[in-house]
Amino acid sequence: MIPYDTKFQELSSRLKLASGTSRTSVASGCDLFVRFITLRSKSLEEDVWDSKNFDNLKNHLVERGKHFMKRLSGSRKSIAQLAYPFIMDGVTVLTTSMSRVVMEILAKAHEKCKKFKVLVTISEPDKRGHRMVKELRSRDITAMPILDSSIGFVMERVDFVLVGAEGVVENGGLINYIGTYPVAVMARSLNKPFYVAVESFKFYRMYPLRQTDLPNESKYLSEDEAEHPVVDYTPPQYINKLFTDLGVLTPSAVSDELMKLYI
Amino acid sequence: MENFIKHIKFFISERNPEDNQKDMKDGIMEECDRYFKESIYLAAEAISELATKRIEDGDTILIFNRSQLVVKILLDAHNAGKKFRVMVTDSRPDLRGILACERLTAAGIPVSYIYINSVTYAMTEVTKVLLAAEALLANGYVIGPVGTGMISLVANTYNIPVIVCCETYKFSERVQTDSILFNELADPCDILSNVRSDVAWQNHPNLHLVNLVFDATPPKFISIVITEVAELPCSSAPVILRKQLNTCY
Repeated sequence: MIPYDTKFQELSSRLKLASGTSRTSVASGCDLFVRFITLRSKSLEEDVWDSKNFDNLKNHLVERGKHFMKRLSGSRKSIAQLAYPFIMDGVTVLTTSMSRVVMEILAKAHEKCKKFKVLVTISEPDKRGHRMVKELRSRDITAMPILDSSIGFVMERVDFVLVGAEGVVENGGLINYIGTYPVAVMARSLNKPFYVAVESFKFYRMYPLRQTDLPNESKYLSEDEAEHPVVDYTPPQYINKLFTDLGVLTPSAVSDELMKLYI
Repeated sequence: MENFIKHIKFFISERNPEDNQKDMKDGIMEECDRYFKESIYLAAEAISELATKRIEDGDTILIFNRSQLVVKILLDAHNAGKKFRVMVTDSRPDLRGILACERLTAAGIPVSYIYINSVTYAMTEVTKVLLAAEALLANGYVIGPVGTGMISLVANTYNIPVIVCCETYKFSERVQTDSILFNELADPCDILSNVRSDVAWQNHPNLHLVNLVFDATPPKFISIVITEVAELPCSSAPVILRKQLNTCY
């Protein structure tokens, strides 16, 4: 298994380097993928692992890989199914940057004929919030871009905050595009619920205690440390619920799920 | 102790009742030795490995009282070449922090020594707090020597991460939300040492001397618990307990 292990590590590193700002989610996805396909379950598969037949083993790995990908591609839909009841008629939702999971949830709620409004922070430096607004408007959802600096101003009108994630760490904390942490602190300060919509493959085995504990590859796109970071870390005490394909979880349950996977 | 006794009872129940007495005794002694080796010595090594990664150059680490595990972690980090200083907090009547001071200064680590009364002042210079636990309860509360709760509270106010190191054999199914339930009282006369007063403190009708041994720290003040199995948030203690129970029953 050892040559395969190094090959997987090599492929994971190449993917991470190529993935731009999504490095954290690619890293966690790769780790879980490798873990999933090499998982040995007791009953049937003993002969597959113990036999000297390489083709059998290869087929087995490919099968499990396909199974993993199937679960992954269905995860956004199952999250939308779980989360759309939280969007009631007349609410104002605040979201940050561009998240396809959040888009799926809002689209599902709209499909079920709920009337709601979405405020999207522009999310400097690459202003990806504009893309989110454009997508939402193309689906006939009322969306408005707001300045990152005006979250204090709008928060009193917001009913809840719903964001996506780059990664979720062991203590249930959130790694997301820069600007998410201040929104969380603001929401907590005005007692507005803060929800995170995230696929379970983004659960990452990392435990940061402060912003500086995030690895440099996640924070900066290039080697230049004078650059602005692209992600920030939101501690779990600011997060109310996480909508995942494993169910609606509290931040403390994330650790439970990760331990089931890794220990 | 609770977990060790459960483990040994389970081990005994699994043994063949036909075995002769000598074999049985030898088996139990061997299992005790194995348990101590794995749950205490090797666990300390594993925790030290994980904890030393959290210590960075330039850190000021605050520790409380004397804990063999915490002192071991600091010595290992120092031997690994990390440059940091330690603030040893101590409290009466035991003043056990002095022992920690001795061991750390002997190794060449810069140490400051303070009484727990000045911890709010000292906390402005501290970057991390490293504590050991006597027990970790099922609801996430950490039982430690009295004073631990106060230090965690102050650290939390200044947004300083509190790292608790605890071997898994110390995890307990008990649930407790305050320090008064299930505590121990040490000799009240210990408080009286060095007290200069004309009043006769012993047997005074209005005076009740309380020398508590432990206190309970709520999980919201603790940033991370490092065990030999994993690094986890306090609230996930039940997960480890569940795994332990599964292997026992």
